[in-house]
Amino acid sequence: MTLKGLYTDISHIRRMVFEEVARIALEDKGYEEFDKIPYNIIDTEEPTYRSSIFKERAIVAARTRLAVGMDYKESQEHKLISESIKTFLEENNPFYKPLVRVIKFACEKCPTKAHFVTNNCRKCLAHPCSIVCPVDAITIGETQAIIDQDKCINCGRCRKVCPYNAIVDYERPCAAACGVDAIESDEYGRAIINQDKCVSCGQCIISCPFGAIADKSMIYQLLTDLKKGDKINAIIAPSFVGQFGPLASPGRIIAALEKLGIEKVREVSFGADYASLEEAELFHEEVPDKKEYLGTSCCPSWTYIADKHVEEAKDNISPSYSPMVVSADSIKKEDPDSKVVFIGPCVSKKLEATDPHVVDYVDYVITFEELAAIFVAADIELTKIEKEKRIEDASRYGRGYANAGGVAEAIRTNLEDKYGSEIDIEKADGLADCKKMLTKAAHGKYEGYLLEGMACPGGCVGGPGTLIKTKKAEKEVDKFSKESPYRTAENNEKLKKYEK
Amino acid sequence: MVTVEVCVGSHCALVGGLNILESLEDLKEDYPGQIELKKVECLDVCDDIKRSPVVKVDDEVITAAKSEVVMSKVMERIET
Repeated sequence: MTLKGLYTDISHIRRMVFEEVARIALEDKGYEEFDKIPYNIIDTEEPTYRSSIFKERAIVAARTRLAVGMDYKESQEHKLISESIKTFLEENNPFYKPLVRVIKFACEKCPTKAHFVTNNCRKCLAHPCSIVCPVDAITIGETQAIIDQDKCINCGRCRKVCPYNAIVDYERPCAAACGVDAIESDEYGRAIINQDKCVSCGQCIISCPFGAIADKSMIYQLLTDLKKGDKINAIIAPSFVGQFGPLASPGRIIAALEKLGIEKVREVSFGADYASLEEAELFHEEVPDKKEYLGTSCCPSWTYIADKHVEEAKDNISPSYSPMVVSADSIKKEDPDSKVVFIGPCVSKKLEATDPHVVDYVDYVITFEELAAIFVAADIELTKIEKEKRIEDASRYGRGYANAGGVAEAIRTNLEDKYGSEIDIEKADGLADCKKMLTKAAHGKYEGYLLEGMACPGGCVGGPGTLIKTKKAEKEVDKFSKESPYRTAENNEKLKKYEK
Repeated sequence: MVTVEVCVGSHCALVGGLNILESLEDLKEDYPGQIELKKVECLDVCDDIKRSPVVKVDDEVITAAKSEVVMSKVMERIET
């Protein structure tokens, strides 16, 4: 069950906030314009979903604060958005943790995990539900079976045996989406994110049906710097193909970025090529003698699982720089005075960019969704761009990094080509499966293996910042991969000129 | 045969045009040979983003289109 791929009113509000914030930055409007955003977006007389339009507007205001990168805590104080944004931006502190926030008053306090009897229950004579219950939690009430929630251990036996499908296994959507159990409740029953457990994958953001969870953005910082005349280059993640619609070819997307004022654009798959060679080398030299197994390093949320949940596995995650860092470094070597924006499907890359080892390479991270809003705010019509800009920075396998399985495939090919060696691979996509795989690895289950972990279902193409369905994006990535002039990373002519 | 033109310009793509397209692609699979689907460039009717996304079902222009509205207009015109 997922909301991904559907355009809901939550997607609409989120994107309109991005568009409004981008417009303020691009048109160089004063801070007081921020105060108008809730009224521009919620322009009805009566509330549409919540108890009042004031609450609807307050939630948009909270989203606006997050969209300029501010901490949400501040919105508890009595302060106009414009005032707090002014203080925040002038303190020159554009980004700090935590990245993903629950907007508390937008949370509808959904009940936590439980088995419920629905009105499908016919109060049947056989009532197998109560017979199979190992903790005697089910009694037969006046109209239907009743589960004593204090006794219930959520084993699911009653649900499976019910002839009427009357019992449901229910979990709050945010918690169900979180594979590392980071969603907890505060004293009021509202969801809170345990930051010690959270790996910032962003799946809860796109799963909450009340739109109560949001991450911070750097749209405003990027666009005001661009307006100011800063030289900014972009690196774009391999899942970008097709994200802006079927007529927005890769060449048009690149041209549109240049129209926006971006100096030049490089594929992040360039860095993927570099990383795949480095990780193949590392695997060849160290597995299994020095390292029992090797985990890939490109998905930050996957590496945070090792940091926060399976510490024993930490040393087995490849220490090589991520494709994002390598691509940014390659641009900054050519152009030392420039800044770099990473454009991708990913929420956790925003966090990776704040890492002390990464902060000098990447200056801003924005998602495809945020970029789509920027194009609209900048009046750039993608389908009417005539002069496409060719981009050819990476091999087929580097471009394949966006799909689950693509990273391991690239490393496997490099090992086969260079050493003729065949390796064992295990892959996981989705946080819960990543954690399971890593836990098994820590218990000696994967000696000699290459482990590929992708926090988002389907890989990067399933990231929270994408605009099209995962399956569709996967096909687009495959098609674009085949268009590369270089088969493998080893054949990538452009990579030969680069040294980390 | 019903012809549907879905605008996939920047405005429409941002506010759900791509999702409408995806829902129609699904529908097309269920009713083969009955729906002609065209992805078209900006139709220039969405000067205000509140009029996006724009979809044309045969000759009928739908502004601020929603998946459920477009799909039902298409369903009215096909044999089930």
